Amino acid sequence: MSVKRPPFYVKAQEILLRTVLGSKGYDLPFGSDADRGYLLLLVGLMSFLAVLACAGTLSLHAMTQRWSSGLENKITIEIKAEDRDGTMLSPETIRLETEKITEMLQKNPAVKSFEALQEKEIKKLVSPWLGEDFSLEDIPLPGLIAVELNVSSPEALEKLTGSIKKLSPTARVDTHREWLQDILRFTGTLQWIALFVALIVALTTVTAISSGVKSRMAVHKDQVEILHLIGASDKYIARQFQWHAIIIALLGSILGTAAGLGMATFILLLSGQSGTSLIPQISLDSTSMLIFIFLPVIASIISGVTARFTVLRTLSLMP
Amino acid sequence: MIKFDNVGFRYETGPEILSDISFELAAGSYHFLTGPSGAGKTSLMSLMYLGHRPTRGSLHMFEHNVGFLPRERLFEIRQKIGIVFQDFRLMNHLTAFDNVALPLRILKRPEKEIRNNVTELLDWVGLGESKDRLPPTLSGGQQQRIAIARAIIARPRLLLADEPTGNLDDTIGFRLMGLFDQLNKMGTTIVIATHNTHIMELFGHPRLILAHGRLTQETRQGPITQKIRNVS
Ligand SMILES: Nc1ncnc2c1ncn2[C@@H]1O[C@H](COP(=O)(O)OP(=O)(O)OP(=O)(O)O)[C@@H](O)[C@H]1O
Ligand SMILES: [Mg+2]
Repeated sequence: MSVKRPPFYVKAQEILLRTVLGSKGYDLPFGSDADRGYLLLLVGLMSFLAVLACAGTLSLHAMTQRWSSGLENKITIEIKAEDRDGTMLSPETIRLETEKITEMLQKNPAVKSFEALQEKEIKKLVSPWLGEDFSLEDIPLPGLIAVELNVSSPEALEKLTGSIKKLSPTARVDTHREWLQDILRFTGTLQWIALFVALIVALTTVTAISSGVKSRMAVHKDQVEILHLIGASDKYIARQFQWHAIIIALLGSILGTAAGLGMATFILLLSGQSGTSLIPQISLDSTSMLIFIFLPVIASIISGVTARFTVLRTLSLMP
Repeated sequence: MIKFDNVGFRYETGPEILSDISFELAAGSYHFLTGPSGAGKTSLMSLMYLGHRPTRGSLHMFEHNVGFLPRERLFEIRQKIGIVFQDFRLMNHLTAFDNVALPLRILKRPEKEIRNNVTELLDWVGLGESKDRLPPTLSGGQQQRIAIARAIIARPRLLLADEPTGNLDDTIGFRLMGLFDQLNKMGTTIVIATHNTHIMELFGHPRLILAHGRLTQETRQGPITQKIRNVS
């Protein structure tokens, strides 16, 4: 007859329990419970999800921060290629208006720096839509000036817009605020979703631990009764279930968190490689890492408290 | 220490097994509880160790009215009681050593003290060799000795033993009865349920006799005990 070796997590659990509860391990026969593998797996998967949700939130946060700070004092002036009646302006007119505006910008103290985009650059910007070989004579292109301001107060901006409008009534001043706000709203929603996922993860863990504890109490009803009869208080019995749950959660969560971090790193690496300049290089800094180290601790605390509460409540309903 | 006042008891909706039980046991006393099988000895014991509560009447244990004691305080009384169950009720996944150590661990005694006391007691009841074995691998008599050791390891103020010598040969049986006498001399109140007239005659403690759900008390001291006491 071959003796089946217990899986590694059973050994690990036993060692941990012995450390916490003294040399005896525990008084209730949890060792034979079939469900602890599932519970470990469940807590592991939940931690995995939590890590991904957390990593997503953190990198989104870093991303929006970089976007908003990068665009803070920047505006773009667009000199439209058609006037108010819809008549196309000649490239010559556009160039003239652009020059007038740049002259004004040069003298304006609120302006830190500016750069009028050259035809070549504008051409490059629109080439995805129009193709490489078209001449400005065919389709008039707007003039574009990128401006960096010293200040970002709305009043200063309004004053500047006023002076631009005087020089070119059809010019449009784009503060990027609109689309930045859209992006921020979008990422905000994503963060709420991540939070919601974290909440569901926590709730699932609580439910699973609680029902696991209940079924284990039913399985070990006789042993629990013996403990009672020889003088164990409800708290003593709860402590057994509590530490058992804590250790399962700790092990499961460490495994799940490690797997989740591996996955998150992998995803971030992939997104970094794609080279899209829109998504800034994102990586997890040390503060974020701290959060992930605390995740198993948090999972253990949630599980322990849940188990304790469940046992005490179940026992208090007994005669 | 123990006071029954017109106690009646039934299991759920079953017939009344114990009726109008009234008696009082003083601290430091030693009684045999006897009566035919099915008379309710085990049931009476379970009222004393708070395994069940009386269906009517009042029961005082250690000056507490058990009927009014909240659930979360029962353990305080149980910690003063050592119980040898008729069916042992050992923890089958714990070694003989850990079973006996359990009451001390519940009382949070230091592990060193536990190791010394448990080892000593197991040696004394002749289980020193078997201390690392699990109960299911031991004989009925060996299990019974574990049950007895577990009941007395924490020096309870009250010892309730239900047929504690049922599975033991006379030599070890008498040895354990002698141990109970020792405990009694040191102040432990003892109630032993038994059918064994031989032992009852030999030790001659007063008897509580259960029959047809009622209890009568017999205070006679057996003559044989006197003889043995005189001899030893
Ligand atoms: N858990 C229970 N539920 C319902 N009835 C029970 C239960 N335990 C015992 N009884 C009944 O109560 C009566 C008394 O049983 P009890 O075990 O107290 O007798 P006893 O005097 O200890 O018998 P024995 O000498 O055989 O141990 C019996 O008729 C039995 O059928
Ligand atoms: Mg009985």
